Amino acid sequence: MNVMRKNLTISGLWGALLLSGLWAGGCDCSEGDGASGEGDGMRTIAVIPKGTTHEFWKSIHAGAIKAGRELSVEILWQGPLREDDRSDQVRVVEDVISRGVDAIVLAPLDDAALVPPAREAVAEGIPVLIIDSDLDWDGRVSFVATDNMEGGRLAARRLGELLGGEGKVLMMRYQEGSASTMRREEGFLEAMRADFPNIELVSTNQYGGATTESAFATGEGLLVSHEDLDGIFTPNESTTFGMLRALRDADRAGTVKLVGFDSSASLARALSEGHVHGLVLQQPFRMGELGVRTAVAHLEGREVDARIDTGVTVVTVDNMDDPEIRDLLVPDLSEWLD
Amino acid sequence: MSDLAKRLDLNRALSVLGPFIGLILVMGLFAVLAPDRFVSAYNLKTIVTQTVIVALGAIGMTWVIIGGGIDLSVGSVIALSSVAAALFVRDGYSPAIAIVVGVVVGASVGALNGALITGLRVVPFIVTLGTMLMARGVAKWLGDEQKVDVPETWLDTVMSKNPDPSWLVLSPGVWTTLILAVVMAFALRRTVIGTHTIAVGSNEDTARLCGVRVSRVKIILYGIAGSFAGLAGVMQLGRLTVGDPTTAIGLELDIIAAVVIGGGSLSGGRGSILGSMIGAFLMAVLANGCTLTGVPNYVREILTGAIIIAAVAVDGLRQRPR
Repeated sequence: MNVMRKNLTISGLWGALLLSGLWAGGCDCSEGDGASGEGDGMRTIAVIPKGTTHEFWKSIHAGAIKAGRELSVEILWQGPLREDDRSDQVRVVEDVISRGVDAIVLAPLDDAALVPPAREAVAEGIPVLIIDSDLDWDGRVSFVATDNMEGGRLAARRLGELLGGEGKVLMMRYQEGSASTMRREEGFLEAMRADFPNIELVSTNQYGGATTESAFATGEGLLVSHEDLDGIFTPNESTTFGMLRALRDADRAGTVKLVGFDSSASLARALSEGHVHGLVLQQPFRMGELGVRTAVAHLEGREVDARIDTGVTVVTVDNMDDPEIRDLLVPDLSEWLD
Repeated sequence: MSDLAKRLDLNRALSVLGPFIGLILVMGLFAVLAPDRFVSAYNLKTIVTQTVIVALGAIGMTWVIIGGGIDLSVGSVIALSSVAAALFVRDGYSPAIAIVVGVVVGASVGALNGALITGLRVVPFIVTLGTMLMARGVAKWLGDEQKVDVPETWLDTVMSKNPDPSWLVLSPGVWTTLILAVVMAFALRRTVIGTHTIAVGSNEDTARLCGVRVSRVKIILYGIAGSFAGLAGVMQLGRLTVGDPTTAIGLELDIIAAVVIGGGSLSGGRGSILGSMIGAFLMAVLANGCTLTGVPNYVREILTGAIIIAAVAVDGLRQRPR
C-alpha cells in the first residue's frame, strides 16, 4: 500500500516533467518555419555552426534562413552547447544523420575530429558542405569561407599603418586547434614580419580561449605584463571584445591600437568611440546564404566550385558609415531571425 | 531476516524504477514528437554509442559517491588520458599500449586524489577541484597547447557505429562499457572492497570501528574512478581521432548528474551502477532528441536541469522516514 502511494508520487512528478517537455517542444514547433514540413516533400538542410551564441553565427543563421526561404528549403539549425566542445559537435552531426536530412552544411570545430562523422554522412548518402573552417578531408562538396590568411594580412597592414611601422605589438590567439583563426594568426604574423620589420612582436603565444570571459582574463594579464604596448591584434569576435574590455578596464582603450576580427553591436560602437581602430569583417550572412545555395545547387545536380571565397574587408572609423559596410558591421537580422 | 532482505531488495528495485520511468517518459515524448526519426535502430545505436564516455565515467563515479566522496577531476582526467594515449599512438606504439597508458594515467591521478584526501585530510571536493585544474594543465602541457593528431589505427573503430565484424552490432566501446558495468555492479555488492565502500559511505566512523581500513578503501575508490575516467579518455580519443586537451570540460558534472539521476546520494552509502547507467542514457537521449526535433540548445539545458532536480526530489520522497 505504502509502496503504491510512493509509486504514484514518482510517476506524478515524472508526468509533470513530461508536460514541461511537451510545452517546450510544442512551443518550438508553433514558431513557423515549418519543423513539420517533411511530409510535403520539402528538402531539409542541416546547418551546424560551431556555436549558437556569437553574433557571427546568428548572421550565418540569418543568411541560411534567407536562402532557405527563397529556395523553399527547411533549415535545421543545431550547434554544440559550447563553442569549444568538439565531441558535442560530433554528436550533433551524428544525430542529424540519424534524423535524416538532404544535406549538411557544417562549420567544423576541428579539422580532424569532425572527419569521421562527415564521412559517415556521405556513407549514408548525405552530401556535406563545409563553411567557415576547413576540414582535413576531400569528400566535401565545396568549401565556402573567408580567405582567412588574407584577413590576417589585412589586419597586419592596418595595424602597421596605424603605428607608422614602429612600436610594440602583441597578438592574443583564439584557441588551440581552430583552423580558421590559426590561419588569420598566421597571415597576420607573415605580413607583419614581411612589411613592418621595425615592429616588435612582444607576445604571440597566449590564447584567449573560447569565451569572452576567458579572453578578458588573458587580456588583463597581457596588459599588465606589457606596459609599453602600442598595438594589439585579436583574431575573432570573442577575443576582440575580451581584449577591448581589458583595455577599458586598464584605462588604455584608445591609446593602445586594437585591430580585431568580426563585429558586433558593441564592437561597432567601440569603433566609433575610437577604442577599436580596425575590424576585419567577414561576410557571415553571405556565407550562410551561399552555403545553403551551394548545397541546393549540388542536390539539383549542378556543378559547384570546390572553393567559394566570401570575401573580407577592413572597416575603420572613416568608412564605417558607408551603407554596404554598415550592413556588414551591424547587420539587421530581424527580418530573418525572430 | 529474510523479510528484511526482501525489503532491502524492494527498496533497491524502487530506486532504479524512478529513473527508469523517467527514461521511458522521455523516450516516449520524443517517439511522439519525432516518430519516424527517433524510433529507428540506427538512431538507437547512435545514442548508445554517444552514452559510452559519460557511462564509463559514471561507473567509477558511482563507487566514489557511494563511498561518500565526489570526484570533480574526471573531466580533466578524460582529457589528460586522451592526450597521453594520443602521444603514444602518434609515436608509433600499438593502440593496445595506448589504452593501457590511458588507464594507468587515469588510475594514477585517481590514486593521487585518494592519497591527498586521506593524507592531507582535505575534503574530496577541494582536492579534486585542485587536481581537476592540474590534470587539465598537464594535458595542455603534454599536448603542447594543441590537439594531438594521430595516424589512423584500429582505435578509431572502437567507437564506430558499424563495427567490424558486423555481428557485434554495437561498437566494441559499448560492449566494453556494458561488461564493465555488470562486473562493477557485481563487485560493489559481492566483494570485500565493494562492501567496505558501502560501509565507509554509510558511516565512516562505524566502518573504522568495525576494522575497515578507511584510507586504503578511499585510495582504491578514487583509483577506480580514475581508471574509468582514463578508459573514457581513450574512448574519447577513438571517437574524436585526435587527443584533445580541451575536451570534456564540465563533463564531470554530466557524470555526477547521471549518478544522481540514477539514485546515487551525495551523502554517501547509496547508489547503483544500473541506476547510473540509466541516468547516463537518459541524458544522451535528451541531447539526441532535442537535436532530432530541432529545439534550441537552451531547452535541452533547462530540461536536463529539471530532470536532475526532479530525480533527487523523487528520491527524497522515497527516503523519507516512515
